[in-house]
Amino acid sequence: MQIKRSVRRGLICLLASLALAMLLPGTVSAQGGYSDPAGINRRIDQIRQKSGGLVKVHKLTVSHGGTDILLLEIGKKSDVPNPAVLVVGNLSGISPVTTEAALSLAGRIASDASLCSQLTWYVVPMGNPDAYSRYFSTPLYMDPGNHAPHNDDMDDQVDEDGFNDLDGNGIITMMRVKSPDGIWVPVASEPRLMRRADASKGEKGIYKIYSEGIDDDGDGQYNEDGTGGTDVNANFPHLFKYFDAKSGLFPGSAREAGELVKFAFAHPEIAMAVSFGRTNFFLVPPKGGRKGSVDYDNITIPEEVGKAMGFDVSRTYTMQEIMEAVQPMLPPGMTIDEGMIASYLGLGAVVNPMQEDLVFYNKISGEYRDYLKSRGVAGERFDPEDAKEGSFEMWAYYHLGVPVFSMDIWALNKLQEEKKESSGITLESLEKMTKEDFAALGEDKINTFLKERGAPAQYTAKMVMGLINSGQATPGQMAAMMKQMPAPAADEQKGDPMELAHLAFSDSQLGGKGFVNWKPFKHPTLGEAEIGGFVPWSGNTPPFTMVDSLLDLHLPFIFELVKKLPKLHITEAKAIEKGSGVYQIEVWIENNGYLPFPTAMGKRNKIPAPAVITLEGTGIEFLSGLKRTPLHDLAGNKSVKLTWLVKADKRSTLNINLISKQAGSDSRQINIGG
Amino acid sequence: MKRVIFLLIISLAVTGMSEIYAQEIKVPLRFDHYYTYEQVVEALKALHSAYPALTGIEEVGKSEEGRIIYALTINNPKTGEPLSKPGIYADGNIHGNEIQAGEVCLYLANRLLTNYGKLDDITQVVDRNVFYIIPVVNVDGRFHFFNDPNTPSTNRGLRIPVDDDRDGLFDEDPPDDLDGDGNITSMRKRDPHGRLRTDPEEPRLMIAVKPGEQGEWISLGQEGIDNDGDGLVNEDSEGYVDGNRNWGYNWAPPYVQNGSGLYPLSGTGIRAIADWMLKRPNIIMVFAFHNSGGMYLRGPSVKSAGELPPGDIAVYDHLGRNIEKIVPGYKYLISWKDLYATYGDFTDFTNNLLGSYSFVGELYQVGTETFDGTFLGQTDRSSIMAGDSNERERERLKFNDHLAQGELFREWAPYKHPEYGDIEIGGWVKMSTRLPHPFMLQDLIHRNASTVIYAAQNTPDVSLEITETTRLSGGLYRIRVRLHNRNAMPSVTYMTVKNRLYPLDIVTVKGSGVKVVSGGKIVNLYPEKIEYKEFRPGIQFCQVPGSGKVEYQFLVSGKGRLEVSYESAKAGTKKVEVTLK
Repeated sequence: MQIKRSVRRGLICLLASLALAMLLPGTVSAQGGYSDPAGINRRIDQIRQKSGGLVKVHKLTVSHGGTDILLLEIGKKSDVPNPAVLVVGNLSGISPVTTEAALSLAGRIASDASLCSQLTWYVVPMGNPDAYSRYFSTPLYMDPGNHAPHNDDMDDQVDEDGFNDLDGNGIITMMRVKSPDGIWVPVASEPRLMRRADASKGEKGIYKIYSEGIDDDGDGQYNEDGTGGTDVNANFPHLFKYFDAKSGLFPGSAREAGELVKFAFAHPEIAMAVSFGRTNFFLVPPKGGRKGSVDYDNITIPEEVGKAMGFDVSRTYTMQEIMEAVQPMLPPGMTIDEGMIASYLGLGAVVNPMQEDLVFYNKISGEYRDYLKSRGVAGERFDPEDAKEGSFEMWAYYHLGVPVFSMDIWALNKLQEEKKESSGITLESLEKMTKEDFAALGEDKINTFLKERGAPAQYTAKMVMGLINSGQATPGQMAAMMKQMPAPAADEQKGDPMELAHLAFSDSQLGGKGFVNWKPFKHPTLGEAEIGGFVPWSGNTPPFTMVDSLLDLHLPFIFELVKKLPKLHITEAKAIEKGSGVYQIEVWIENNGYLPFPTAMGKRNKIPAPAVITLEGTGIEFLSGLKRTPLHDLAGNKSVKLTWLVKADKRSTLNINLISKQAGSDSRQINIGG
Repeated sequence: MKRVIFLLIISLAVTGMSEIYAQEIKVPLRFDHYYTYEQVVEALKALHSAYPALTGIEEVGKSEEGRIIYALTINNPKTGEPLSKPGIYADGNIHGNEIQAGEVCLYLANRLLTNYGKLDDITQVVDRNVFYIIPVVNVDGRFHFFNDPNTPSTNRGLRIPVDDDRDGLFDEDPPDDLDGDGNITSMRKRDPHGRLRTDPEEPRLMIAVKPGEQGEWISLGQEGIDNDGDGLVNEDSEGYVDGNRNWGYNWAPPYVQNGSGLYPLSGTGIRAIADWMLKRPNIIMVFAFHNSGGMYLRGPSVKSAGELPPGDIAVYDHLGRNIEKIVPGYKYLISWKDLYATYGDFTDFTNNLLGSYSFVGELYQVGTETFDGTFLGQTDRSSIMAGDSNERERERLKFNDHLAQGELFREWAPYKHPEYGDIEIGGWVKMSTRLPHPFMLQDLIHRNASTVIYAAQNTPDVSLEITETTRLSGGLYRIRVRLHNRNAMPSVTYMTVKNRLYPLDIVTVKGSGVKVVSGGKIVNLYPEKIEYKEFRPGIQFCQVPGSGKVEYQFLVSGKGRLEVSYESAKAGTKKVEVTLK
């Protein structure tokens, strides 16, 4: 303890003097232009002031660290409540440009009444102020946590061993230390980068890599319990990860997430959610393939239940079949619903996107890619992150049952591969080839192609040509087989492709400020070490000078997107006289939006409120049909006919009203009777 | 004048009510009647003012309708602060209609307090443990169960409106007390095409017709009308959000399980209790009382959660098997396997996120409503699941006639229904079926409160001793330390260890003039094997198993006083000292 304290004291003195000498903030990566949390809240208020009453600002909650989380409500007052879009920015707190995106979106709406005359917008630009504030703090490091204390290493102290800025440059980078059990080696062609030594090729590791810091608590581990906290975007109640240092104790335990959930359910007019964050559903639609999602058309009945209730456990049933079979077993007056069956059979929650919803996701994704092309966007960017367990994006889709779209605004571009001798063959072209086409390629080209695809060594051109010539395989079969194989791996010897791209971006666009070159450092417990590496935030935060053009490019697509929201109308209403004062009323309702009302997930979870059609008139008696008729769903660009049989002895006006919280309202009048 | 009449009516109404529950609430509490919500509050306050030194009364939070949820804490400050003792938590009535659960909690408090200093067993648990008691979780539910017409099973949920029939309106078509007797009973109509006929052995019951027999009745469900004119009767009553499906562990949305609520802990009172409990990490034993069936249930509540760790099962089995004897006829069961799967259960929350052993006590077996002894003490899974047979119902009616003087069953009586025409209304009243008649209440609450006291006696009781201080060469000492737990529960549940929920118990060796050179757990004594801890040897992390021990060895240099301490979230703090000369 004694020794450790003196080391720490020495370090603090060292850091203080360095800080003074180096004028810290100037050397830290480009924060220039981005607003700190207080600045964001000031800018929110400026939008309100300038909006001429279009914008109201609400305090959603206060972050763990004490910053107000503000919500802008943007919309014109109207007689009937408008549908709404919920927009959240930067819930993970580690993506400053997404706060800018949400704020800019709000500004654009507030200055153009046509964008909010029939739509209300709820915008939360800064969903995780505490994590975001780290971008403006020294030393600089990145963590999505909201500062809530957590004992990561389960010892007797909390948050006692975080990073230490040992080289005093105000930036937390990495340490590399030569060690007999090291597993890292420098990349030969780019010695600033490290890669894993490939033991299978006889390589031996040289370095161990640590994050920058000392063992503050003397337990033999480095930086294992710093100030982190709950990642707001991991604290939502869908596939919540329990007992994880970042996700919080239970869903909604972080009020930043909990209050957003509460708000969303208190506003059933929310018809769509948009998240500016780490995922991009425009580029990569929500992914399926999780285990555990239950197909309601193929339900297996557990043996013990099957036996008791007379089901054949060797086959599967549809939900409808089960409901029909169970209903007669119940006492009179009790009706069965899907939830009761699902709960009884332990079917669990939906965890994969519904197939019907992927149709619109894929269509809109295609349109977005075309849009980017039309705007001259060149180069291939790295993929966005996949939606995380417990994230807002997932929760809003699965639990609110509304379409959810997300954007990450910016990512590094992949480096253009140097043109080496290329076969010019793709799996797609191979698929279409005949036996003769394939033979015409020649041995050299086929060998190149096999190498490019990373085919095993025994697959030589000669051997493959033999297979195809003899008719044992077709080029199509070969392509199909190759599709099953993993994509050819990047050349690991050259380093991680994203790190290479990050380094190239730093060198060309950041004047080298995205990377700190390795420098020797005498570490108190690790001995001779070097400190260096990527500057946190520099790989996912575009220089502020790029922000305007990025937002001008991407945000207009959001306004295109909301034009696709479902919109219900009465297209026709008529009364057909049946004689003796009896009329058949026919009303056609149309959804003239592209998107369905509601999503397939919304149909499953039954959260979106139904549209309700009411018929009102004096002296009208309903012979069949109800005064209030709920309409639970209507696909995009589809119509449905509703009919009633009524009796009206005197002449009367029938008011037909359609009210939907999420998809608009309409009304008609027709005359009947007399 | 109008106002005077209004006041007169009000005062008459109040007098009427107070006649029913007329006794003054005094300690020791009486248990020959059920307590209204207001009386529960009064009883808690009475206990507190009778035993101010041993009790604390707190407002945990408020319900949806603004009623206060109270907790009574029983702790002897002379033996330590509450957080320094193994905590026992007991609550009841999370389902509004399951009211006798509240009486069990009140009785428990009354039993502990009125016998403190008189009965050694009681004195010991009060001195060694702290008891946290929330008699009524669903305060709105209890209020409305007493004050509104109900069946024995209605008014279970929280007062959160839900559009059950998905017509855009909320809670618009509840059952209606058509005959104005304060109960929701059943409706039946004479119909030769009906599928029921009068039970020849008991004219108040109906039985299903067999092929070839003439029908006589059609059953029309609970008393009520079509309030919203949608052609359905009683299809959207209050709620439904079930307080015991709303907790933050393994919660699932309402389409997976009806009544979950829109998100975990969406009930304001539920969230308040969760936050309140999380501030009391010393709680190691949880009882949640419900009705009915006669069961003590442990988790997990869903199969997919997997079985509990074997060490925890051993503790549950030990408690459960003894509880079955304390409450004859009650069964110790596993929630998902023996009853049904539930998500967002309270006891799953406490078992997993609070690290507490947790039981649901399902109070009362209707089979004890017996006239001649038939069915007494008979409980098996099929009777719990399948409800009552006609044979059992006949027996219950005899009980109603001869032991309850007709109090439990509303005789069928004609009624003119706006939609159904001439019908009959009758059946079991709300204060029946799931609730013991007050004359049987005393037995139920005493036995079930005794299970809580029994569990308290099994909470970890850890002693710390220095078993060896040996001087070695070179000014080095060998110190051996033993932690022994004389009771069945470990100091940390095995689930907590598995999930890394919170740090293990901490053993620290320190002294101003001494240095801990080395230290580690003695994993085996014969032959000796010690697992040394490389870093920070003076601090060790452990779980003290139930009815077992852990031992540590430390090599210490220097002289003077050496302090060994043990700190546990659930099992308190212990210190011993030795002087090295």
